[in-house]
Order: sequence, then C-alpha cells, then structure tokens
Amino acid sequence: MKPRTIRHFACLAVCSAAALFAGGASAQDAYKIGLVSPLSGPNARYGAFANKGAALAAKEINAAGGVMGRKIEFVSGDSQCVPAEGVSATKRMISFDKLPVIIGDVCSSVTLAMQPLAEEAGVLLINAASSNPAITYKAGVGGYKWTFRNYPTDEARAAIVLEHAVKNRALKNFAVLSVDSDYGRGAINFTKKYLPRYPDAKILSEDYYKDSETDFRPVLSKIKNSGAQAILMYGQADTTPIVARQMLEMGLAGKVVLVGNAEFNTAKTIASAPSVLNGSIEAAAWLPEWTSPRSLKFVEEYKKANGGEMPNNHAYTHWETTHLLAAAIKAANSLKNDDIRNALVKIKYDSAMGPVTFDDHNQAVLPMVLLEVADGKPVIKSAIATKVEYPKQP
Amino acid sequence: MGSFLFEQVVNGIISGSMYALIAAGMTMIFGVLRAINFAHGEYYMIGTFAAWYAIEKFAVGYVVAIVLGVAAAALVAAVIGRLVMQRLVGAPFQAGVLATIGISLILQNAVILAFGGGYKVFEGGWIEPVQFAGIGMAQQRIVLIVAAVAIFAALEWMVRKTRMGKAIRAVSQNIECCHVNGIDVESVVRRTFLLGTALAALSGILTAPVNVSVYGGMGESITLKTFAVIVMGGMGNVRGTLLAGMLLGVVEALVSGLIGLQYRDSVGFIALLLMLMLRPHGLFSQKARF
Repeated sequence: MKPRTIRHFACLAVCSAAALFAGGASAQDAYKIGLVSPLSGPNARYGAFANKGAALAAKEINAAGGVMGRKIEFVSGDSQCVPAEGVSATKRMISFDKLPVIIGDVCSSVTLAMQPLAEEAGVLLINAASSNPAITYKAGVGGYKWTFRNYPTDEARAAIVLEHAVKNRALKNFAVLSVDSDYGRGAINFTKKYLPRYPDAKILSEDYYKDSETDFRPVLSKIKNSGAQAILMYGQADTTPIVARQMLEMGLAGKVVLVGNAEFNTAKTIASAPSVLNGSIEAAAWLPEWTSPRSLKFVEEYKKANGGEMPNNHAYTHWETTHLLAAAIKAANSLKNDDIRNALVKIKYDSAMGPVTFDDHNQAVLPMVLLEVADGKPVIKSAIATKVEYPKQP
Repeated sequence: MGSFLFEQVVNGIISGSMYALIAAGMTMIFGVLRAINFAHGEYYMIGTFAAWYAIEKFAVGYVVAIVLGVAAAALVAAVIGRLVMQRLVGAPFQAGVLATIGISLILQNAVILAFGGGYKVFEGGWIEPVQFAGIGMAQQRIVLIVAAVAIFAALEWMVRKTRMGKAIRAVSQNIECCHVNGIDVESVVRRTFLLGTALAALSGILTAPVNVSVYGGMGESITLKTFAVIVMGGMGNVRGTLLAGMLLGVVEALVSGLIGLQYRDSVGFIALLLMLMLRPHGLFSQKARF
C-alpha cells in the first residue's frame, strides 16, 4: 500500500468514526418521543392541536431541565386517521427511529391498529385522545401490557350524557347521527347498553356519516319526521357546523337538540348556528373554560405560543399526557421502559382536571366535564370521575 | 309518507344540481380529449378555496368572491391546460389517467401546504332559510338549482349554435378531420378544459355556503361521484349528464332517508359498476360514441 493510500484510509476511518460519534452524541442529548396523529385529511385539525399541545409541554419540561437531564424531542408521524397510514407511521418510528415511547393516535380506529405493533416491540404506547372503550378493555390485565390511555372512554361518556339528557332534560326520543368509525359506532353501542336503565327513552333511527359527508338534508328530513327530540351525535368537530347549519335551514333549531360529543361548545361551532347549538349537551375531557389554575395557565401559555389561538381538547390532553410521562420518568428515576411502565401503573398525578390514576386495564381514572350550551356559551354542569366497570373475566 | 318522499326528492334535486354542474365540465373534457380528468374535483376545491380566501382576507362580498374564485381556478386551469392537457391529444389513455391523477395530488397537497390541512368555515352566501312547498331550505339552494338549469340551457345553446360549440363537437367526433379542416384542436382542448374546470369551481362556490367547510381534500369524493354521473349520462353527453346528476342525487337522498346515511356513497359506486357492465354507453343513448 502506498503511503498516500494509507493516508486516505486513515482519514476515512477517522472521519467516519467522528461522524458515528457525532451521531451517537446527538441521539444521547435528546429523549425522542413519537407522536402519531392525523396531520392531513378531514381530521388534520386534531393533529395540529395535538402537536402544538405536545410541543408546548416539551418546551416547558425542557426549560425545567428535561427528563433525567435530557431534553424531550418529538418525532411526528401522520396517520390521516386511516389505520393503514397510522400503522406505517408507527412501524417507521419503531424500526427506523427506534423510539421507546409513542403517544398516539387521536382516532380510535388507528389506535386499535397501533396496539399490537407497540406490544410486539415493547414500545410504550400512551394514548391521549382516543375514546373507544375496546382500547383499554384489551390493555393491562386485558392483554396489551404496553398500552396506557390518559383519556376518558366513550363508555363513561355515553353513560353520563344519557343520564343527564333523560333525567335532567326529560328527553325521551333520540335519533342517532354519528361518525361511521370505531369511535362513533362504539359510543352508540355503549349508549344502547345503558338505555334500558330508562324505560321511557328510545332510539328511533340510526345513521352514520362518512367523514367527508357534507349533505345531511336527507337524514335530517327523516329525523324531523320521526319526532325525535334529540340527536345522539358522537362525531367530528369539523362536521358539527355543517350539520348545525343544515338543521337551521330546515327549521330544526330549538326543536331538536344535539347530545353527545363533537365539539358543540367551541366558539367556532356555536358561531355557525347559535340557535341550533343552544341547549346541546356534551361530555368533554376538558374545555378552555375550566377554571383550575393549572388549566388557566395552560390556556394562557398555549395562546402565547400559538399567536392567540384557543387550544382545544386535544391540545390539552397531549400537553397533559406529555407532562404525565415526564412525571412517570421522574418517579421511576430511569429512562428504561420497564421502569417507566411500572411508575405509570402506580402514579397519582395531579392534572388540570383533577387526580389521575390508572386502573388494572391501564385506563386512566380521571374527571370529565358535563356541559350545556346556553346563550351561545358553554356552561359547566358537573365534573364526574370516570371509573369503568369491566365485565367479569370468564 | 307522500310529503316525506317529496321532501327527499327535493333534497336529491338540490345535491343532483351540484353533481350535474361539476360533471358537465368533466364530460365535455372527456369528449374532446377521451381522457377522464381525475383532477376535476381539485378545480372545484381550488375555486372554493380562492373564494374563501377572498372573503377572509379581503372581506369582499359573496358575488365578488364567486367571480374571483372562478377566475383563480381558471388561471390554474389555463396553466395546466397549456402544460399538460393539450399534450394529451392523441395520447394513449394511460397517459391521461396518470397525468390527471398526478395533477390531482399536486394541487391537493399544494393547497394543504399553503393553507394547512384543517377545515375552514366558509362565511358568505345567502343562508337565510325560506319555506318552499313546506320544506325549509337556505336561499342558496334555490340559487344553486336555478343556476344549474340556466347553465345547462346555455351549454346546450353553446354546443349547438356557436362556433366554439361546433368545434367542440367536431373534435369529439374526429380529430383527423378537424386537422384537415383547419380546426386548431389544441386550442379547442384548452378552451374546453378551461370552461369545464370553471364550471366545477362555480359549483364549488355555489355549494360552499351550505356545505360550510372548505379543506384540501374536499375534491376527492366529488371526483368519484362525478365519474359515476358522466358514465350514467353517457361520456361526452352534456344533456344526459344533467339527468344523470339529478338521478344520482335523488336516489342517494332516498337511500339515505329510507335505509341509512351510511349507504349513501354506495349508490354511486353500484350505479357505476352496473353501468359499466350493462350500458357502458350511458343511460340515454342507444349506441356507444367512443
């Protein structure tokens, strides 16, 4: 070998070693967390809120010294609310980015598809926004050891909403108009589970809409003719203004109220048709009007960081869940996934909504707000802790 | 029950008017190019987006927004017509499919990139409810039906009587003969494309006040339904398109009113499958034109 060639080789070796070392060092500084959410498609708004909420939490945690001395950094993936897309984003995070923890998704159908992947890889999957009950029926003692959910389920929600609608508002005849997904259909299934408790109450019709649907006139004609007093709607925030506008033009304002969960209470939705939204009943994980000091501070910080935009429910839950993860790491005093998981199982965390613990299905037991819209504004009726009663295991 | 069915038929005619307006352009473009414009829904989206932007940023009135929205979509169509569509004259059909699907992806994602993926609320239009034969509806819907009928009458006149219309018919019958007779085929293709996409944009802006939301992916489902409509109407048949659009709208309304909203989108697909299997030349003509 000629001396020059040797020099080349030596340089190459040193350079590549330096590059490797540099790569290793930057991975060492940041503790990377995956965040799977819909960033395009009809549910993109949810993903945008989720990312902004999580980013704010990361900034706050990093300003306070990070986790175990390392800064938090989010790696974002787009699920489009489509299970196949969510699965490929999750696979990339597990195989290529080697992320130990993934927060996601917003849409229940995607979360359900992500669970087996996380389980197989031993990656901690913390959900902050999907409400289909099956997610945690199948977690903890139900099977998936690595799935946790820091969000109330539709079972609790359906029970609370139905009770309030029937007992306090004397509504009896319901028409179902929910989104055609695991979330929308799941919530209605659980509503039906609790319906026999109220002998007078009945469901007159049942319809599910595709997430790109814009014409609700045919189904609203049917609902108008059926004599329903309320529409049970577990749907998408972005569809609510469309339905509300079309209810208004068909003269249903004040005659049929919306009951369920689809952001009936935000200023944007109410502005689309105030007379339709007045009187609507909703159970939500959080809303900006919640008056705990921690919640008010979050709203203020979020608005400061995002040009005055009001945070929604998903911004809050992703912000709070990121803080919850940091608290679990602190309690575990370790970045090892086993230790973090054990810490989560035992955690007693003070959220902006109240205390959070996890049951043996890794489902958070946490408070939920019941509200009504009156005079164009949400009015909080009560906050109820949501403990799921699981059927006995055979 | 009778009044319920009548109400559903009215609902169907309203949505059918929108389908027909969009499909009219798509079917004319097919006539001259023998290519299905799979990006057709994107011009519907761009027109609506431009009108929304004009209202949000410059606080213009709805009528001005209609003009600006159609103009913006026509501008985009003019560029794409010159760069892409006129090159499809005489090209194999695969080229048309790939080119228009590619354009659809580019336009959709460009809008998402520029304005974000979230839904925007379209403020504007005449949304005050009025009573019409005992059925409450926004004034905007009456505007939509009247506009659809008027535009189809104008199109019919244009295709039969004007020089442009005759050229369109000539190109859709025999391109070689047009070349021989000195008809500028590429210019006819460009102008037809411009007209067709402008109609899609107009339809988007006319329905936006009652559909409320505007977002990058809104054209996708429209393209598929429009495809079903032009196959039912007979590809390239403008008059057939109006009837087919109305028919699809009415059947969809009846299915969602009587069976369930979740089955609505299946109507278009089933119609498409049946048509392609049994009457590929359309409902209203005896012989296949292409």
